[in-house]
Amino acid sequence: MAEATSIVTLKGINKTFHRGKEPITVLESLDLDVPTGSFEALMGPSGSGKSTLLNIIAGLDRPTSGEVKVAGANLAAMSDSQLAKWRSQNIGFVFQSFNLIPVLTAAQNVELPLLLTSLSGSERTKRVQTALRVVGLEDRMHHYPRQLSGGQEQRVAIARAIVNDPKIIVADEPTGDLDRKSADDVLTLLDKLNKELGKTIFMVTHDPNAAEKASVQRKLDKGALQ
Amino acid sequence: MVPFRYNVRSLFVRKVTTIATALGIALVVFVFAAALMLGEGVERALVSSSRPENVIVLRKGSDAELSSSMSQDVLGLLRGNSAVAQGEGGGVIGEVILVITAELEGKGESQISNVLIRGMPAEGMKFRPEARIVSGRAPQPGTNEVIVGKAIAGRFKGVSEGGTFELRRNRPLKVVGTFAADGTSFESEVWGDLDVIRTSVGRQASVSSARVRLNSPADFETYRTTMEADKRANVKVQREADYYSKQSEQTSGFLVGLGTVVAILFSLAAMIGAAITMNGAVAHRTKEIGTLRALGFSRIAILVSFVLEALLLALIGGVVGLAFVQLLALVSFPVMNFQTFSEIVIAFKATPNVLISALVFSLVMGLVGGLVPAIRAARVSPVEAMRG
Amino acid sequence: MNIATYARRNLFRRKGRTILTILAVAVAVLIFGAIRTAVAMWNAGADEAAVDRLATRHKVSITMQLPKRYIDDVRKVPGIKAATWAVWFGGKDPKERTPFFAAFAADHNTWFDVLDEMSVPPDQLAKWKATPNGTILGDVLAKTLEVKVGDRLTINSDIYPGDWEFEVSGIYTPLRKTADRNSLVFHWDYLNNDPRNEFGKEQIGWVMSQISNASESASLSKAIDKIFDERDDQTVTMSERAFQLSFLGAFSAILTAFDLVSLVILLIMTMILANTIAMSVRERTHEYGVLRAIGFPPSYILGFILVEAVLIALVGGLVGIALTTLLINFGMGPFIEQNMAGLFPYFKTPPWVLMVALVAAGVLGGIAAIVPAIRASRHKVIDSLRRLD
Repeated sequence: MAEATSIVTLKGINKTFHRGKEPITVLESLDLDVPTGSFEALMGPSGSGKSTLLNIIAGLDRPTSGEVKVAGANLAAMSDSQLAKWRSQNIGFVFQSFNLIPVLTAAQNVELPLLLTSLSGSERTKRVQTALRVVGLEDRMHHYPRQLSGGQEQRVAIARAIVNDPKIIVADEPTGDLDRKSADDVLTLLDKLNKELGKTIFMVTHDPNAAEKASVQRKLDKGALQ
Repeated sequence: MVPFRYNVRSLFVRKVTTIATALGIALVVFVFAAALMLGEGVERALVSSSRPENVIVLRKGSDAELSSSMSQDVLGLLRGNSAVAQGEGGGVIGEVILVITAELEGKGESQISNVLIRGMPAEGMKFRPEARIVSGRAPQPGTNEVIVGKAIAGRFKGVSEGGTFELRRNRPLKVVGTFAADGTSFESEVWGDLDVIRTSVGRQASVSSARVRLNSPADFETYRTTMEADKRANVKVQREADYYSKQSEQTSGFLVGLGTVVAILFSLAAMIGAAITMNGAVAHRTKEIGTLRALGFSRIAILVSFVLEALLLALIGGVVGLAFVQLLALVSFPVMNFQTFSEIVIAFKATPNVLISALVFSLVMGLVGGLVPAIRAARVSPVEAMRG
Repeated sequence: MNIATYARRNLFRRKGRTILTILAVAVAVLIFGAIRTAVAMWNAGADEAAVDRLATRHKVSITMQLPKRYIDDVRKVPGIKAATWAVWFGGKDPKERTPFFAAFAADHNTWFDVLDEMSVPPDQLAKWKATPNGTILGDVLAKTLEVKVGDRLTINSDIYPGDWEFEVSGIYTPLRKTADRNSLVFHWDYLNNDPRNEFGKEQIGWVMSQISNASESASLSKAIDKIFDERDDQTVTMSERAFQLSFLGAFSAILTAFDLVSLVILLIMTMILANTIAMSVRERTHEYGVLRAIGFPPSYILGFILVEAVLIALVGGLVGIALTTLLINFGMGPFIEQNMAGLFPYFKTPPWVLMVALVAAGVLGGIAAIVPAIRASRHKVIDSLRRLD
């Protein structure tokens, strides 16, 4: 069954914005199936609607019309607070500019999503250590973001994304702010998460190098998948 | 020069911050201006009670009419001098001053205050041409009829037109009219007949003070020297203006002093507020400043620009504060005259001086609060423009 | 780590701003504390005034006098334990070392029996009673006028002409903190026998009586006034404090102004807090977007901002009450007690004023943060994430 193997199912997605009185169509009758366990890259020029599509999948934004099923949940039927809870359990975020909280250490940043769970302090610490071990930054636990390099920051962000064991990781230009070497490290790490931990990864990127690492490449142009 | 529009826009963009800071400054200006207005009000009420050719005579050693007491005979000595003006509105009048305890209207028994009663001879009204009846009628000389100043009319039980109050058992004074006196402190007094009032309180043949009109203000020194040298009189002779300005100095000095101390303390908080805002503006625009510097604007130009922005912010606060303070024109404030224990009801008076002082005060707050952030801004290096 | 860690860490993210804000709150709390202390101390005079003392004065005016024989009538009223009398002397220091002090001509036999908050050594009291031109003055006033027991002292009067010569028989010290340490008293006979008192022979300013049972003060006041109701000079009897306040009638307006002004400083403080919070929230819009994306519900964002605001306000409040305690109880207070003992015999910040100031700071911190907090929590996640400034 398609339902069992697809972790993301979008049907007939339309998304229009209003700039002043002018309606702007960003996504039009878009259908998308992302199989569980795949590593997909979404490419496309600026303004093609990549980020909007990503936000819809991640439960940050709602389509104007259409059906959104992600990780078994019908997102359209959920309230904002249900969505927030759902995100914390099912989605791991990786952003272009890392978005670590500067006043918290690496470990504390990773621990943030766990504060929304009922896990005990020691259990949280264990999970944080595991996540940091996966990204290879155990020895940087007590560093603040400003004491880390860009690549390290992004790896901490990835640890934060996986600490709550989400089913799907969405990454928005994860290598956009990184040098070649760090970008490669991050991509290798994502690949490892996909292959070894079985995480579904949905990545928006400009970078052909990054797209190449993914098992599926899609192109979005003028609101439609090519 | 960095265009001023740039600063206006910056204040406008950060609306919440601008409003909060300006309101803080406005509140300080409000307090400051209110104190100054009260001081001006006291000064106006007391000092304009005087005329340059008028002289007040008290018993030697007394500082105020209330504690002074002289024999009626002294009036004869005071009259016997060629410097004294004759005819309508001239001459020497002896008056008796006392304060009575009165209950504030509608405030219950615990709220009492003191009202000044002035007993004057029939010529007393003519001696003070600024006084005129605004409602009711003038009292009949030699009777128990009195008139009440319009500032306290209706403020005390019994002491308002149509009411009666007693100085002594079964000797009621009847209020038959209300008078105005150009906003002077006389408007916070009750005027009645000298003889009726002083016999009621057992002070026959004595007066508290005498008022003398001289032919010319220039005659004062000779008159004073002559009278003060007269051992029989044993008096102190002062210009009315000096007497009242000393009184107002005490009272308005107290109020303005208190108000200024409070406002200056308040301004500490407001200046810190302005500094926070301007610091934020600098931090927020570091890149812009770097760009301006890279474009060739000098450090001084940047400094001036930020100081101007702080001044503009403070000025907005100052103007808002002054706008609010105008509402005080609707209320009057009872003030204790320390010389008479009685209250004078003061109208808040906004003079150009007050407005200018308040605006200068707000600008000083802006300057002090904005200077350090402006210096910080001026020290931003052009390299900042290039930073991410 | 817990949720509060983040709010706490945010406090010192912009150190300069937080420190300035804490300083502003501290200054505001200090001013508020000082003003409330002044009002509280003014009222404390009333609360702590002797409840078992009544003053009887002329009904019409504080400046009019009563016949001396009234004292005998008052003493006969059942329930009156002791009574004394005095005349206001209007004392002035010829050398102007003090602008004001209370000077009375009083009954030397009974004055200190009734005004029992003033303690005079027995030998000095005996000496005073035996010295017609003897005077006893408060310890603070004695220091100001630079006299000690046995010295001669010359003072002037606003009411009675010329120099008045006294011999300092004793110096009293306070037994209660509200006692006026700035007063001077001498024999009424000395004034009464002086030719300069031509208008006030055998007259007294007021009667001060001590009653056996404080709860009877209202009925005794009525009983006293009733005695004189049919005479030429009627009286009004009131508590000692009310009597003192009748000289300061319009002072209540100043107190009202103080009340308003102490609210104004709280408003100013709220504005400054609101500004700081608005600036911080504005800077962190993006970060709050990240937290929301991770799954933090809006209520957490609201909580972070409120907790941070309340923390800043409370830290400022704590600094403020420390400053208040230091400045008032160790600086201004003793100075006022020395120099304005007539109005404020006792000037210390009561603990409840400090508590009110601290609570007010905390609550207003929360109020200042409500609007920015609600706005930030309602912000759409994708808009927050997009905003990069």
